[in-house]
Amino acid sequence: MRAEPRVPAEVLANLRAPLSRDALSVDAPILQPLGLLLELAGEAMRARLFVVQAEGGREACLRPDFTVPVTRQHLESGAASGRYYYEGKAFRASPDHPDRAEEFVQIGLERFDAIGTSALEADAEIAALAWKAAVAGGREDLLLWLGDLGLFAAFVEGLNLPTSLAARLTRAASRPRLLQAELARAGAQAKVVEGGALADLLAGRSSDEAAVMLEEVWALAGIEPVGGRGPAEIAQRLIRRTEAARAPTLSLEQAASLRRFLSISDTPVKALAAIRAIPGAKGEALTAALADWEQRLVLLTKAGVPAGAMLMATTLGHAFEYYDGLTFEVRSTALGADRPVAVGGRYDGLPARLEGPAGGRAVGCMVRPWRAFKGGEA
Amino acid sequence: MNEPLIIAVPSKGRLKEQVEEWLADCGLKLSVSGGARGYMAEIKGLAGAQVRLLSAGDIAEALDSGEVHLGITGEDLLRERGGDLDSRALLLRALGFGRADLVVAVPKSWLDVDSMADLEEVAHDLLARTGRRMRVATKYLVQTRAFFARHGVADYRITESSGATEGAPAAGAAELIVDITTTGATLVANGLKILGDGIILKSQAQLAASLRASWSDGQLAVAEHLLRVIEARGTAHESATLVWPDSESDDALIGELVAAGATRRPNGVLAPADRIAAISTLLTAKGRGPVTASRPDFVFETSCVAHEVLVKRVKN
Repeated sequence: MRAEPRVPAEVLANLRAPLSRDALSVDAPILQPLGLLLELAGEAMRARLFVVQAEGGREACLRPDFTVPVTRQHLESGAASGRYYYEGKAFRASPDHPDRAEEFVQIGLERFDAIGTSALEADAEIAALAWKAAVAGGREDLLLWLGDLGLFAAFVEGLNLPTSLAARLTRAASRPRLLQAELARAGAQAKVVEGGALADLLAGRSSDEAAVMLEEVWALAGIEPVGGRGPAEIAQRLIRRTEAARAPTLSLEQAASLRRFLSISDTPVKALAAIRAIPGAKGEALTAALADWEQRLVLLTKAGVPAGAMLMATTLGHAFEYYDGLTFEVRSTALGADRPVAVGGRYDGLPARLEGPAGGRAVGCMVRPWRAFKGGEA
Repeated sequence: MNEPLIIAVPSKGRLKEQVEEWLADCGLKLSVSGGARGYMAEIKGLAGAQVRLLSAGDIAEALDSGEVHLGITGEDLLRERGGDLDSRALLLRALGFGRADLVVAVPKSWLDVDSMADLEEVAHDLLARTGRRMRVATKYLVQTRAFFARHGVADYRITESSGATEGAPAAGAAELIVDITTTGATLVANGLKILGDGIILKSQAQLAASLRASWSDGQLAVAEHLLRVIEARGTAHESATLVWPDSESDDALIGELVAAGATRRPNGVLAPADRIAAISTLLTAKGRGPVTASRPDFVFETSCVAHEVLVKRVKN
C-alpha cells in the first residue's frame, strides 16, 4: 500500500486551525463495517475499498473517509446539533493510478444543525473554512469550485415534464451516461410498448385487484414467483412503465435547454446569469434556488473567499453519493480536477439513512494536507 | 539452463475432457503421470514443455501471477481477475468449446423488467421506498460491477455466492443473479429469465499466454512449436484441397478462385471447407474435372501469427 509523506508539523497546524476552532475533536474506528458503507455509497465504491476480515468474522473495510462514522457518532450522542473536527488516515485503493497514495491524511469538519435551520449560512461557512484550510498549505494556484445537485432538480422541475421523465432525469443527475442517453432520445416518437395490453387491463383496477390479476397471469404462464417483489408492486410498475413509454420524451428544445444548463462553467455571477438566460428556466423552485445562490455568494465573500477565486459548474458532483445539495471542491491548477485539495458538500439525507431523524441539516468538508502543502504532492 | 515451458490444463470435469480431445486431435496426446489423479503431465510430441493440471479458476490466477506460461481456461474466469486483462494475458486462440454466457437473470415473475434500464428503475425505486438496495447474488464481482456501471445501475448490493447462485432469489438471499449459463435450463428451472440486454460476456475456453511470466528464447521456441501445430490443425479443419487434371495451365481460372478466398496449391487450390461444393460446381461447369476434394490433416503456413504477436508482447 502506498502511503504519502508527512506534512511539516507547522504547516499541518496552520491547516488545522480554521477547521478545529470551536469544534469537538473526534476519532473514528479504522475498521468500518463494509456492508453499511456499500449500502450507503453503492457497489461501485467496492473497488476503492481495502476489505479485511478476521477468520470467521464479518467483513470490514479500512475507513475510506470519516463522514459516515462521524455522522453515526453524532446520531448516537442524541444531540440536535454538533460540530466535529477529525484528523487521521483514510484508505482508498487506486489500482489504475500506481503513483497515487492509497493511505493518506484527511482533516475535516462536519457540521450538523437542528431541523429547520437555514442551510445557507452553514453552506458558506463550511466552504469558506475548507478554502482557508487549503490556502494555509501555501499553494497559490487554488480555486474554489462550486456546484449544487439541487439546482439541477429545480431546473428540471421548471421544464414541466411528465412526472416519470422528470424523475428519470433527476435520478440521472449524478450518472452522466444515463443523462446522455436521455438527451440523445430527445424528440423521438413514443414507443409501442410490448405488454401494454396487460398494463392497460391492470390500469383501471385497485391495487388488490391488479395483484390478483397478475397472479392469475403467472399461474397461466406457469411462472413460479421467486424473489422479494410482490404482485401488487410489479403490477403498479408495469402500469407506470407503459405510461412512461407512451409519454413524450424530451422535446428537442427541452434537451437543448438541459444541455445548455449542463455546460455552464464560469464565475458564479456569470454562471447564475447564464442559467437565467436559458429558455425554459422558470418555476418557483429554480427562482428560489438561484436567489439562495446569490445569498451564498455574498456570505462566501463575507467569510473571506476572494470573489476572483470562485468558479461554478453545474455538473460538479462527487463519486460518493452522500451529497444532495451544495457541493464544492478546492482544486489546484497543478494537480488538476481529479486530485482535489479539498472537497465537501451538503448531505442532509445521510443522517436519515443512518436511522437518524429526518429533516436535520448536515454539511461538511475534508482537506488533504499533502495536496494542500506547497511542497507536497506534485 | 533449459527451463521447461509450463502449460496449465484443466484438471477435472467436462472442460478437461474437451481439452484432452482437442489436444489429441492436434496429435498432441496428454499423458498424466501418477495415475488418473496425478497433477503433472506431459504432452507427447512436445519436448521442453511441462504440463500442470489445475482447476480452471487456478489457471486464471496462475496466468495472472506469471507462474505458468500458457494456460487453457474460460474467458469469464480470466476477465474476473479484474483490471486490464490485456496487460496481463494474451488470448492466443478461442477454442470453440467450454461455451458459456455470463448473464443477468431476474425472476420470471417480474413482468415489468425486460432490460437493464428497467432494472435500474426498479432498483432505484426499491432504495427510495425501503432504504435497502437490491441484492445481486454472484461470484463474478468484477464483471458485474463493470457491466452495471456501464448501464447506469447503481442502487444495488452484491451478495457473494460461492455455489448454486441460481437458487438465491428463491431462497430469499437476493433479488436477482449474475451467473454463467450454457443452455439457460437451470435458470428457467429456478424461475429466472435473462434480461434482453443482460448478456455480459459470451465466454469460451481460451488458450492464453501470461505476460507476467518470464519467457526465455527456449520457452518461446517450444510455444512456437505448439502454436504452429494448433494453428495448422485449426486451419486444416476449415480447409479442403481441390485438385483436377491439368490445373497447372488454368492460371486465369485459379486467379479467379484465389480472388474468392482460395490459395494456390500444386495441382489445384486450397479452399475454405464450406466452399467445396460451390467451387467444384464452378469447375465442372467449365469442363474441368474430375475434381477431387480431400481434407488435409494439417496446413502449416510459413508464418505463425499467434506466435509473432506473443513474441512482440513478451519482448517489449
